[in-house]
Amino acid sequence: MSNDDTKHRDDIGDLLSGYIDNELTQQERQRVELHCEDCEQTRKDLEELRALRQRIGQSRLGELDAGAWGERMNDTSVRVTAAIGWTLFIGGLLLAAGTFVVSLLFDDQIGVFGKLVIVGIYGGLAGLLISVLRQRLIERKSDKYKNVRI
Amino acid sequence: MHHELIRLGAGAHAFAIQILGNRDDAADAVQDAMVKALSAPDAYDARQGPLKPWFYRVVRNRCLDLLRGRRSNTETVDALPAAGPDPESALAAEQRDSEIQRALDTLPPAQRQILVLRDYLDLGYAEISVVLDIPPGTVMSRLHRARNAMREALNNHVK
Repeated sequence: MSNDDTKHRDDIGDLLSGYIDNELTQQERQRVELHCEDCEQTRKDLEELRALRQRIGQSRLGELDAGAWGERMNDTSVRVTAAIGWTLFIGGLLLAAGTFVVSLLFDDQIGVFGKLVIVGIYGGLAGLLISVLRQRLIERKSDKYKNVRI
Repeated sequence: MHHELIRLGAGAHAFAIQILGNRDDAADAVQDAMVKALSAPDAYDARQGPLKPWFYRVVRNRCLDLLRGRRSNTETVDALPAAGPDPESALAAEQRDSEIQRALDTLPPAQRQILVLRDYLDLGYAEISVVLDIPPGTVMSRLHRARNAMREALNNHVK
């Protein structure tokens, strides 16, 4: 093979992939076909590229089938529903508890110590809730996917 | 969108494996991407293009996040269980798949990704440029380099 042949094949190299993928313009396709008429090595390259594409396309690269993904998605739906349920439940519980605490605080029959204990317990619960909400808010702000667009 | 994502799950998993090199991490990444896509359906605008490249891009972003968080994870992909009922053909398929995956493992991640997107998932060049976030004009040259590297890797493996 002459140096000219090698240079010519280098020039046309990238186009071979475009050719087998049908991604070339008509002019580029003609250029490849014209080159192939005179170059056995390029014809061989084209066949090898086609065979490679077919071989990769027919392989099975660690995929789970649609049934498995259906199960995972159902699992995801269950988790999302559960999270909503827990949020509503805890929110309602805290509201009821808050109402209960306020009514206790204004109850003259309970001593100051008793009121302090009750305030401590519910104050702690409120602190925990606020810390969780704060964490969720930070995660939401740093969510890199919220701006994904085509 | 729910059913479409399920349909895309298998291909997205194969793609994620090429980035993360681990089936379980890849499955987690795809599931995370599905949750993201379902919880923010407005993020996808059908007028801008098909769902497939958009979703693969979300998967890729999630994989890259995982990679940043788990730099030490270099576990290789195990051979898959046999797919067909016929033991001989299943064994042949398993060997074929294993050869392809081993050859892919020798390539740089960028080449693995572009090969799988084109030759395994059958995406067009415009879709690949969306998923990989590269100019459309560079897809063909990168793909050709990746194919040549893959041919070489397979030839070396046979030898």
